[in-house]
Amino acid sequence: MNKILLIIQREYLSRVRKKSFIVMTLLTPIIVAGFYGMIIYFSIQGATSTNNRIAVVNDNKTLTEKIASTKNTTYVYVHKSLTEMKASLKDEDYDYILYLPEFSLDTPSGIQLLGTKQAGFSMNSKVVDDVENTIRIQKLKESGIAQEDLDKLKATVNIDNKKINQAGKEEDSSAGATTVIGYASGILMFTFILIYGIQVMRGVIEEKTSRIIEVMISSVKPFQLMMGKIIGIALVGLTQFVLWILLTATISTVAVQAFTGDKALQQSTVSAVQSKTGASIGKQVADNGPVAYIQKSVANLDLTKILLVFIFFFIGGYLFYSALYAAIGSAVDSETETQQFVMPIMMPLTLSYALSLSVVVNDPYGPLAFWLSIIPFTSPIAMMVRLPYGVPDWQLALSMGLLIAGFIGTVWIASRIYRVGILMYGKKTSLKEMFKWFSYKN
Amino acid sequence: MLNVNNIVKQYATHLALDNVSLNVEQGKIFGLLGPNGAGKTSLIRIITQITAPDSGEVIFNGQRLNSSHIARIGYLPEERGLYKKMEIGEQVLYLAKLKGMRTAEATKRVRYWFEKLEMGSWWNKKVEDLSKGMQQKVQFVATVLHEPELIILDEPFSGFDPVNADIIKNEILELNKKGATFIFSTHRMESVEELCDSIALIHHSKKILDGSVSEIKEQYRNNTYWVEYDGEYPAEQAAGIFEVLHKEVLQGKTRLKVQISTGKTANQLLSALLPVVNIHRLDEVIPTMNDIFIDQVKLKD
Repeated sequence: MNKILLIIQREYLSRVRKKSFIVMTLLTPIIVAGFYGMIIYFSIQGATSTNNRIAVVNDNKTLTEKIASTKNTTYVYVHKSLTEMKASLKDEDYDYILYLPEFSLDTPSGIQLLGTKQAGFSMNSKVVDDVENTIRIQKLKESGIAQEDLDKLKATVNIDNKKINQAGKEEDSSAGATTVIGYASGILMFTFILIYGIQVMRGVIEEKTSRIIEVMISSVKPFQLMMGKIIGIALVGLTQFVLWILLTATISTVAVQAFTGDKALQQSTVSAVQSKTGASIGKQVADNGPVAYIQKSVANLDLTKILLVFIFFFIGGYLFYSALYAAIGSAVDSETETQQFVMPIMMPLTLSYALSLSVVVNDPYGPLAFWLSIIPFTSPIAMMVRLPYGVPDWQLALSMGLLIAGFIGTVWIASRIYRVGILMYGKKTSLKEMFKWFSYKN
Repeated sequence: MLNVNNIVKQYATHLALDNVSLNVEQGKIFGLLGPNGAGKTSLIRIITQITAPDSGEVIFNGQRLNSSHIARIGYLPEERGLYKKMEIGEQVLYLAKLKGMRTAEATKRVRYWFEKLEMGSWWNKKVEDLSKGMQQKVQFVATVLHEPELIILDEPFSGFDPVNADIIKNEILELNKKGATFIFSTHRMESVEELCDSIALIHHSKKILDGSVSEIKEQYRNNTYWVEYDGEYPAEQAAGIFEVLHKEVLQGKTRLKVQISTGKTANQLLSALLPVVNIHRLDEVIPTMNDIFIDQVKLKD
C-alpha cells in the first residue's frame, strides 16, 4: 500500500510540475473563454452592425402591401427604373436592388436581387422570407383576416410529466433536465477518459522504452505499479479539470463584468435573446419557455444523489477505461503500435454514448437500457442517463459493484500482460498473443 | 546464502533454463557466465522475482524466496533505464524508497554516494542531460543504495571508460568487504578473474561448469609448459616424458609448447633437456577463464 502511495506521488508530481501541464492548464481556459467570447462578440456584431439597405424597384401593381423593414434590413421604395437604378447604385447608399416585376400573387416569379457584391445565402433567404411574408399579409387582408386574429389561433401547449411511484403518489418527472444531465455527463466522461486514459497508456509505454521497468518490477509488483499510475494520473486529471473550471469561471466573470459597463451591448444581448424566443409572443412564453421548463424539472430531481452517483461513475468509468489503456500500453513497444488496440476500446465508449442518448433516453426502463447501465463498459454513461428517470437501488448497487470489480479485474489483467510483455522487447503483439500472455503462467 | 535448486523455465517456444542448480556463498562474488542467449538473464529474473520458475525453487538465507526479500536484493539490469525527465537526486531517492527506505535515511545515503562518486553537482540534473557513462553511475548508486545483502550486476562495466570502470570495481570490492554478496553476470572474462571467487557457466539453458575459480583453473591445468632454449636435442630423449604441441624458431632460439606425459613432472623434462641445450625459460601454461569458457562452449556445441 505504501508503495502504491509512493508511485501515486511520483506520477502526480512528475506530471503536475511539467511545463506543458502548467501551460495547458493556464492556456486552455483563456482559449475556451476567448473562443466563446468570440462567438458571442460576433453574433452580437452580426445582430447590430450588418445593416443592409435595399432599394426596391417596384414595377408591380398587384402587390400593394409594402415590404416592411426589419432591424437589419431596410427596404426603401425608390421611384426610378431598374436601368437607372443599376447605373446609380455605386454612387448611392444602397447595398442591393430588389426588383419586383409584375406577377400574380399565386405564382410570383421574375424577382431579382442585384448588388455590387453577390448576396450571401442568409441574405438571400431573408429577402425571400420578407417577400413571402408580405404576400401572405396581403392575401390575409384580402380574405378579411387580421394578423391579430391569426395570432389568437396559436396556443402554446405544455404537458406536465408525472410519474406514479411505488407508493402510488405522483412525482413530477424531469425529462428536460435528465437529457441535459445525460449529455453533459456523457461528454465530460468521454473527454476525461480520452485525455487521461491515453496518458496512462503513454506512461506505461514510457517505462518500457526507457527500460526502467526491470528495475521497477524488481522493487514493486506490476499491480502496484499500474494502480499507482492510474490513480496518480486520475489526480492529475482532476486537478487540471478543477483548475480549468475555476479559471474559466473567473475569466468569464471578469470579462462579463468588464462588458456589462457597456450598456449598448447589454441591451443588444437582451434584444438578441428576445428576437430569438420570439418577442411577439411576449411574456407569457417566459413562464412556459424551455428555460423555465428545465428549471422546473431540475427542481424535481434529487440533485445530491445525482451528483454523488455522477462522481462515482465519473471516477469509476475513468479508472476502468484507463486500466484498459494500461493493458494496451503493457502489450506494445511503441505508441505507433497502439492503434489497432485503441479501436476496440473506443468502440464500447462511443457506442454507450450514442445508445444512451437515443435508446436509453427514449426507453429508460427497457431491457437494453438495463443491460447498458449494468455492464462496466457502458454503465458509466448509460447509468447517468437513466438515473434521473429513477433506477431501483439494487440495480444501482449492482452496477457500481460490477464497475469496481471490472476495474480491479482489468488492472490485474493489465499487470499480467505487463509482466510477460516486458520479457519480449521488440516483439510485435497481436490480440491473439495478448490472450496467450494472459493465460501464461508466471 | 542463495541456493537455486533445479530451476526449469519454459517460454512459449524454447526452454530457457533446464534444471539449473547453483549455490552462492555468503560474502562471495559469484560469476554467472555464458554466451548470449544461454539463459543467464532468465535466471536473474527469477532470482529478482520478475518472473517465477515453472519448477524448482530459490532459497534465500534458508527461506523460500518471497516478496519480503525484495528489499534485500539490489539489481542492476543489463538494459539500463531511468526516467528520462526526472531529476537525478529525486529519482534515486524514489527508487530507494520503493525498496522500503525512509526518506531521511535515503537522502543521507544518496548524498553520501553522490559525494563519494563525485556526482555532487548532478542532483538537479535530468537523466536525459547526462552522458551514458554518467547514467550508468547513477544506476549503480540506485542499485546499491539500500545496502542490499545480495547485489546482482548484469554486465556492470559496459559503457564505462577505464577510469570509471576502475572506480566501480573498487566500490564492488569495498561493498564485498563489508559483507555484501554479489552475483555478477558478464562476458568479460578478465574481470571474472579479477573479481570472482566462484563461477557457474551456463550454456544452452544448462549449467555445464561450476566451482571456485582457483579450483576450476587447477582442474584445467593439463601439464602444458612453454620451454625456450637454444641448441638442439635428440628427439628420442623426449620420448615418454613429453610431447611437443607447437614449435617455433626465433633468432636462433626455439620455443616449444609441450605437454608432459602423465606421471612425469617438469623436473624430469628439465633433466632430459639440461645436458643438451641451454634453457632460457620454462613456464607452465595456466588456462585463463577465457580459454576455459571458449573451450567448454565449443566442446558442447
